[in-house]
Amino acid sequence: MSTIALSINNKAIGPIETSDDIMMIEFLHEHLNMTGTKFGCGVGVCHACTVIVDNEDGSSESVRTCINGVSRFNGKKIRTIEGHAKENEFGEIIKLSPVQETFIENFSFQCGWCTSGFVNETTVLVERLKLMPIRVSEIETVIEKALGDHVCRCTGYVKYYKAVKELILSTEGLTRS
Amino acid sequence: MKINLNAFTLSALFLALPLTVNAAQDELVEQGKYLAKLGDCTACHTIDEGQANGGGLPFTTPFGIVYSTNISSDEEFGIGHYSLEDFTDAMRGGVAPKGNLYPAMPYTSYHLLMDQDIEALYRYFLSTKPVKQKNRDNDLMFPTNIRFGLKAWNLVNHDSKVFEADADKSEKWNRGSYIVNGLGHCGECHTPRDVMFAMDQSRHFEGELIGGAEASDITPKELNRQGWTKQDLDDVLRKGYSRKGTVFAGMYPVVFHSFSHLTEDDMSAVTSYLLDNDAEVTAKSDTFNGHDKSDPGYKLYSGYCAGCHGINGEGKPNVSPALIANATIDKVVPINTLSVMLNGVEEQRYSHTHGFYAMPSYRDTLNVKQLTELTNYIRKVWTKQSSDLTESQVQGWVDKIEDSIADAAH
Repeated sequence: MSTIALSINNKAIGPIETSDDIMMIEFLHEHLNMTGTKFGCGVGVCHACTVIVDNEDGSSESVRTCINGVSRFNGKKIRTIEGHAKENEFGEIIKLSPVQETFIENFSFQCGWCTSGFVNETTVLVERLKLMPIRVSEIETVIEKALGDHVCRCTGYVKYYKAVKELILSTEGLTRS
Repeated sequence: MKINLNAFTLSALFLALPLTVNAAQDELVEQGKYLAKLGDCTACHTIDEGQANGGGLPFTTPFGIVYSTNISSDEEFGIGHYSLEDFTDAMRGGVAPKGNLYPAMPYTSYHLLMDQDIEALYRYFLSTKPVKQKNRDNDLMFPTNIRFGLKAWNLVNHDSKVFEADADKSEKWNRGSYIVNGLGHCGECHTPRDVMFAMDQSRHFEGELIGGAEASDITPKELNRQGWTKQDLDDVLRKGYSRKGTVFAGMYPVVFHSFSHLTEDDMSAVTSYLLDNDAEVTAKSDTFNGHDKSDPGYKLYSGYCAGCHGINGEGKPNVSPALIANATIDKVVPINTLSVMLNGVEEQRYSHTHGFYAMPSYRDTLNVKQLTELTNYIRKVWTKQSSDLTESQVQGWVDKIEDSIADAAH
């Protein structure tokens, strides 16, 4: 057993005792009842289980939770799909994030299993572009590179990519001339 | 009647003669096709999405880029105009009709080939589909761009003598030696290079760092120390994985294109030669020393590695290799352990149902302190190697790996 403490969606979690050999997704599901992060392939390939880790230098990175043990996240700040929408004091969702909004507007997801991974990866991409804007001509290459490893078995890639492109073009400061 | 019978026999003889010749030629072409796979010719002489044997694949060397040439049967751009003598000269001496070949073409190994095998290869290549593709000019720095210098290099470094069997060894062992050292050209990667960049035969098969990973020490002494059996070697060379781990880096295409096609007899000969033993070798018991949860490496292992390699290093079938008995981590110098941590491993597929998933790179995730703790921990749990490596030692090996990648990228 190990004791871990971390921050998830700006809430302190732990110290809490967990088994040494469980993966982060299992910790989220079984210990915290946070089931928005989906278990897909279980071997780090489909990227459905991606969450965001916020680094101390202000950057964010996407990390797969099915192949990374819970101890990797000890002391870290992470964001899951449950942390994107704004809630009111009663825990009711009052506003979705721009990434979630654009996916809904474009009817990007179908069965929805891969959505949390796509939302988190796109959020990391948008945050990176805020720090390092790209040329408009590079958009498609950048999206492909960021999201290319995410698998959607409903094959909704066109709508996902279209939504992300629209979001980047409509958000100030993500592109440069 | 007699005359008629003789005429019939004679005409039958004339009819049969070309058929017999054709059958012999076909057999030679088939033999050449097998030998070409054994020599992995297509892998180096074909670009992605390109036509087979059309050349153009870049080879990065410390001196620049050498492009493989068109070896299809095309008479203008390929080797269709070669005579058997031309082909033999290229294979044994590295001298083609248009001038000296760079030793990126392993004539420094192929010279061992016997005449009948060279002819079979020649017949096979002349039977291949002609590819209308011009050879690309190499991009080499001065003075290595002057081909004339290769004559001098050959004089000093190349002896084009044909394979000679070792009378003290078995026929099987000698067949293995012929394959491994000749067409297999294993020494080109697994033998350290000397100051002239020629294979240092005094350190035959002792391993060499290439493009960020070490082509391992494959001497019988080391393979036997690590507990390889003939079956393990057969598995890893035929399927890309075995009880002793998986192949990675430059060895994956070698298995995929070449060794996976070996006949059982040839594979048996290869494993006999590599282990210096014609009989099967008894497997040693696997090392698992148990976990030490107070070791800082334990948390790193359970956080970064256990998801795929299993908490007890058991691995996942068709996903990731086991660490128990893994030859990559059971080495005195942990360069390949560090190499896979830094560079990751690309996905390897051998068929729809057989393959291994990619391992992520931890270059930007783990610092030298963590790499040291993790490497020591892995060695402590699954090998009998020392687990007191220092950060400065690890930094030194990391620098070597990065330099090797930079050299390959020049």
